[in-house]
Amino acid sequence: MIRVELVKLLRSRRTWVTIALIDALPVLVAILLAVTGVGPRPGSGPAFLSAVLTDGTLYPLAALAMVVPLFLPVAVAVTAGEAVAGEGQAGTLRYVLIRPVGRTRLLVAKLVAVIVFALLAVVVVAVTAYVVGVTLLGQQDVTTGTATFSGTSLTTPELVARTLMSLGYAMLCMLGVAAIALFCSTLVDTPLAAALGAIAVLIASTLLLTLDAASALHPWLITRYWLAFTDLFRDPIFWRDILRGVGLQLLYVAVFLGAAWANFTTKDVTR
Amino acid sequence: MSGATGAGRRWLVLAVGLALFVAAVVAVRSWPAADSDVDAVALAERVQASTDEPWSGYAVSRGSLALPDADRFSSVGDLLGEETRLRAWWRGPDVWRVDELRTAGEVGLRHEGVRTTEWSYETGIAEGTAERSRDPDVRLPRTVDLLPPELARHVMAGVRDDEVSRIGARRVAGRDALGLRVTPSLEQATVRHVDVWADAETAVPLAVEVYGDGDDPVLSTAFAEFDDATPAASTVAFDPPDGVVVEDEEVLDIVDAVSRYAEVAPPGRLAGLPRTADSSGAVGIYGRGVTRMMALPLDDRGAGPLREQLALTPGASVTPERTVVALGPLGVLLTDDGSGGGWLVTGPVTTDTLERAGRALTPTWAFMTTALEAS
Repeated sequence: MIRVELVKLLRSRRTWVTIALIDALPVLVAILLAVTGVGPRPGSGPAFLSAVLTDGTLYPLAALAMVVPLFLPVAVAVTAGEAVAGEGQAGTLRYVLIRPVGRTRLLVAKLVAVIVFALLAVVVVAVTAYVVGVTLLGQQDVTTGTATFSGTSLTTPELVARTLMSLGYAMLCMLGVAAIALFCSTLVDTPLAAALGAIAVLIASTLLLTLDAASALHPWLITRYWLAFTDLFRDPIFWRDILRGVGLQLLYVAVFLGAAWANFTTKDVTR
Repeated sequence: MSGATGAGRRWLVLAVGLALFVAAVVAVRSWPAADSDVDAVALAERVQASTDEPWSGYAVSRGSLALPDADRFSSVGDLLGEETRLRAWWRGPDVWRVDELRTAGEVGLRHEGVRTTEWSYETGIAEGTAERSRDPDVRLPRTVDLLPPELARHVMAGVRDDEVSRIGARRVAGRDALGLRVTPSLEQATVRHVDVWADAETAVPLAVEVYGDGDDPVLSTAFAEFDDATPAASTVAFDPPDGVVVEDEEVLDIVDAVSRYAEVAPPGRLAGLPRTADSSGAVGIYGRGVTRMMALPLDDRGAGPLREQLALTPGASVTPERTVVALGPLGVLLTDDGSGGGWLVTGPVTTDTLERAGRALTPTWAFMTTALEAS
């Protein structure tokens, strides 16, 4: 079942067009930085962006900081929103369910496919960003290493390990969005409505995070810890928000995948 | 029918699971703290003696004072008006490290002996420098002052026995913290009280809340993580990354500069408050504990932009002799000596106190008022 979903995902032209669109922003920013040589003022702009002019190997992280707040979750919401509602709209859902597999397994397979989509998007963004980073932007001598936020030197293996952990964390952060969109996808009949439902949750979360009056809710908002991967570049690594971010995503998956399961496994499918 | 029952059962499983999770979170958060029968004076002494205790932790401070954004004082507005996330390692008063965490980097202070090195990630990478300075006798507040133990140390300096009382216990950073309320008795004070929550085991302050007139603190700082083990020397020391040079700075900030170079002597007593031993050069510090006032002479370059910003602050009162504004419990007064310069007098004191101080520091005050009335 999972294999079927993955093959469908990888063969879909829309998957690769979406990833290319996500990838376009960091590439455009890299070109603009390289042409103008003007980075954001220190303390402003996305994480790592002011440092990439001197060290292009950090550009995958800057690219991640650009796409994680909006582009990547919107793409994940659209892909996950398509999962059940898309099959229903196309009239293929009842045929899918005729196969001898449980609806729970179908939901899990859909979620795995969405996560693989997020992983693909993150990897493509990172690899492209690394290439444009070292070719267009500053290239730090690999023997001198890169500095952490705390002003300690990172060796190349350490930099690679922490970058890979950042990519894994960014991918994990998309779990919650995927679960919400999947739940919405079991509720409504059109993929657009399902995606918009998940995006509405993201926008509400982002808005509430700026509101001091909502501070009691902040630790539970889905976007609260999304940029915590930057804490991997402190020395010692600051695990607090990273661990909370992972826990929160797992909680969202448990609740919304559970809700999707409760709703979908007994849903009356007519198309 | 069976489908509907099945759906109901599944939703019930989900609801019960969620309810159990919420119950567990509420139970952990409302876990009662173990109090102690130690009296207020004894606890105050323990807190004051805890400055040598080693610790490390993560603290968050929140200030609600909307200070004017005036050039050389802007860092104070950030500290007292925003949320600041701090990670710190404290081997003792002479060796410590404090990092202000920012989304896109951090600004760290590393202290050893009489020198403090400031490392700012983005600026440091771009310019290849870190700044080291000798610890001045007087300076503007820095991030280190927002750590609960340091803020408590300032608040409790010179506190009297009749100004402290016990206020129970609470859990802070997963530890039992004993409450101590400091209620300033000086008539000049605008701070109603300061609540200090000290670790039951080490007496290191884990949280501090400063209250003005309102029910909510105007400034609060608390550890979210705390460890009483001695942090490693290698964690605290600053070993600059390759390509970064540590530059020695002559002057730390405007208060340091004025104290060393301004040729003015602050009076021994101001608005009924005696000058303290913390005063240095031209900068006078008056009062005790949380009721402290600073008098700082400024030339026209320092006073001009600040005066303009103060005048724009809601509630500001402007006369030819002075501009004065109360920002919550914090009062700020800037006199005008007629040539653009003047005395900056500020602290958590009443505006009457500031006015008295301004008059005492400005010999031309009476003349200017008379001239204005005559015109």
